[in-house]
Amino acid sequence: MKLLGKDINAIELLEQIERRLRARGLSGEPVSSAPLDGVEPRVDPLSFNLTALEEHADPTRPLPLHTHRGGFTGRALLLAKWAFRNTCQIFINEALARQRVFNGHVRDSYAQLSAEVLKLRKELDARSAAEPEKKTPAQRKKTRSPRA
Amino acid sequence: MAVHQLVPNFVSGDATGQAAVQFQAILRRLGHYGELFAEEVEPALASWVKPARALRPRKDDWVLYHHGIASPLSGALLHLPCRRGVIYHNVSPARFYEGTPLWEPLVAGRAQLAAMAPHVDLAIGVSEFNSAELIAAGYGNVHTVPLFIEPRRFSEDKADRTAAARLWRPSATLIAVSRVMPHKRFEDVLALHREVLRLRPDARLLIVGGYQPGSAYFRRLWRAAKQIPNVFFLGRLSHAQLVSAYRTASVFVSMSEHEGFGLPLLEAMAADLPVLAFAAAAVPETLGGSGVAFDEKRFAFLAELVDELNESAALRQAVLKGERRRMRELSSEVSTARMAGALGPSTLKKQRESKQRRRPRVAIVVQRYGEVTGGAEKHAEEIAHRMAEHWNLTVLTSCAKDHLTWANEFPAGESRDGSIRVLRFPTVRGREMRRFNALSRELYSSAQDRVREEQWIWEQGPQLPQLLRHLSESGDRYDGFVFFTYLYLPTAWGLPLVAKRALLVPTAHDEPALKFEAYADALALPRVLMCNTPEEHELIHARFPNHARSRVVGVGVESHRTSPARFRQKHAIERAYLLYVGRVEQGKGVPRLLQDHASMLRRDSHAPDLVLAGDASMEVGGEGVHYLGRISEQDKFDAMAGALAVVIPSRFESLSLVALESFAHRTPVLVNGRSAVLTGQVRRSGAGFVYFDRRSFAEGVREIAAARRQLGRKAAAFARKHRWPRVVHAYKQEMRRILETSG
Repeated sequence: MKLLGKDINAIELLEQIERRLRARGLSGEPVSSAPLDGVEPRVDPLSFNLTALEEHADPTRPLPLHTHRGGFTGRALLLAKWAFRNTCQIFINEALARQRVFNGHVRDSYAQLSAEVLKLRKELDARSAAEPEKKTPAQRKKTRSPRA
Repeated sequence: MAVHQLVPNFVSGDATGQAAVQFQAILRRLGHYGELFAEEVEPALASWVKPARALRPRKDDWVLYHHGIASPLSGALLHLPCRRGVIYHNVSPARFYEGTPLWEPLVAGRAQLAAMAPHVDLAIGVSEFNSAELIAAGYGNVHTVPLFIEPRRFSEDKADRTAAARLWRPSATLIAVSRVMPHKRFEDVLALHREVLRLRPDARLLIVGGYQPGSAYFRRLWRAAKQIPNVFFLGRLSHAQLVSAYRTASVFVSMSEHEGFGLPLLEAMAADLPVLAFAAAAVPETLGGSGVAFDEKRFAFLAELVDELNESAALRQAVLKGERRRMRELSSEVSTARMAGALGPSTLKKQRESKQRRRPRVAIVVQRYGEVTGGAEKHAEEIAHRMAEHWNLTVLTSCAKDHLTWANEFPAGESRDGSIRVLRFPTVRGREMRRFNALSRELYSSAQDRVREEQWIWEQGPQLPQLLRHLSESGDRYDGFVFFTYLYLPTAWGLPLVAKRALLVPTAHDEPALKFEAYADALALPRVLMCNTPEEHELIHARFPNHARSRVVGVGVESHRTSPARFRQKHAIERAYLLYVGRVEQGKGVPRLLQDHASMLRRDSHAPDLVLAGDASMEVGGEGVHYLGRISEQDKFDAMAGALAVVIPSRFESLSLVALESFAHRTPVLVNGRSAVLTGQVRRSGAGFVYFDRRSFAEGVREIAAARRQLGRKAAAFARKHRWPRVVHAYKQEMRRILETSG
């Protein structure tokens, strides 16, 4: 374990506390957590959006039951939602049938467009890599032939 | 160029909204005007923070979007036809929220972050940690502008006394402040508290922050907490209550496993609490070596450490000293400099050409101008007329005549007052006094955070966004500025835009709003404060010790040829009379004056009448009371010369121009003794009396009647010391200093 702080004598403090713990018979204390190093990884927006559209294309599929309310009101709300879903699913399907078809088209169009974007990016990268390095304006000036 | 900010959700107490307001303040210091826009706004803030759909930036404007959890604004930003920037507050890692409704918006928030990268010109992380995530997400022009707090908002005097008395116990008290969310690991805070109880059975744990009672996480936590003694969930607190909670605790603890910055760490430091925090994500960076950070959660060990921080005075003092150092390192000045660097040299205000002109171009900024009854406005008008001989003057003001409603009555645009150019800007929304008074009552009762104070300043008005834009974009056309009255929005938000070339005539008096920290910039940044009296200077110094250089200047007065008989004849006044001149309204103490006068008349039928002159916003009447409405200047001087005394019942005065005018016409004054300024004027002149209640009011009238002639002589002698040439010289001298040093 490390203690961090410019204003403390970390080693001395650590030893002092460990001594006290030993005196209490608590020397082998388990460690419950250690911080993760580094930043969170990047989430690719194109593939995330496609996955999200696929996941939610069917509007008749319910989300997990949830309420932010607590106590009796919260429990009653959850029960009411559960009852509504179970008894009215057939009407939900009916009401959202066209939405389901529309969402499918949105998902497919997005898949097509994002694939095009990826392909074009790849081509652009390849061309940029193949193209000889462009001259700077100063270099162009030097090589320009003098006017008559 | 304006710098607008776009916030997904703007509600009081929310960290992102707080950050936007803080950044707006530092942008003003850099000379940038800008407004706040949000997708969702708390109804009470809706007139100030505009809906995102109303955002219409110009091509050279900046829009800085505050990004966190997924928001439709990230997509909208990419289509705005202006310069675009992202301010990144971080997104909680989705791994803590598997199987909950929050998982998807958290992942989507990160996907949106990456999606915006190729389309924005600037990315700002509020910590180096966040900036590293911006770089990982593909951003190029990345800068770090750390969040900051205003330490004085967490001082002992800002605590809610009732809450403090309720919360205070002599026992060791841990405090954890944050939204109650899984990644904050409150279960670990409970585990630590359990261990602390083994050492100190009377120890307490205060958990402060909003929570969703229905969430599975909170329910689990609640059940666990019920098994442990002395755990208190305080929920979301008002600012003053939060300060009380910090101030009654003995150690601040954070077990959070992810923080993009960790503002409560700084709040705890400002409240003189030792901080003990798990060194996760941006926490070590925010602590900057202060406090005590740890890298393993060994609860028995940490409990011993808490005990040591409580019991060892040497350790506690060393930690607190380090925290005070850290507070200085993370000041608003540091963030201002970083923001200037982030916006780049092209957006910084150009160096003004230094030209020696015979007559400097000066703008006077005042809330109303012309045809108004009002001390500060009258003062501004007098200064404008005197200085017009020496400066090329423009008055920047509203179209309002009425300071209660700010209704647009004058036409907007340019007009002239003799040689003075007057540029009027329309108020975008009038003031609803009932709502404003209710807000004032609420805010005056306890200390507030910056959002609430800025909301109050906006509601106070006059709301003149075009004037602010003019200062920001056309301020270079003026060599210097004279702002009048610290209190109103054009000064509070406008002065910081041009502070290096500004003089402020604060006209401050002992009123509740002077406690608002949001006025600190207006009083600290100008080149000089032109105070009216020594009492005003002392008052400002007591409230804002870091105020700008200050000098007592005041105003000049002249005596005019008068004819009291003409006034009596014109208004059919036969008996001796006391005179009140000014706005006839509650805020000026007029109702109390009418009561005191009526009481005096009941006891003494020979007592003088009361004459009131000025615009009224209340019913006026009663035996021996003459209400004349607004009268001409000549009528006023005639009335003053013939009065037994001029009465000034207001408690809130920075200088009584009426008192000086009265003295110039050899008339003594009877003033409210609760006003330090008025009392000072009477003491220095010896030409009047103060009163506190009905008895002292009647006694004062009797004393004045008995010594009217001697008091008149003293009044005239005092007025001779307040002549215009001295005042004009002071203004010219201060403007010359600005011209010599600004280039």
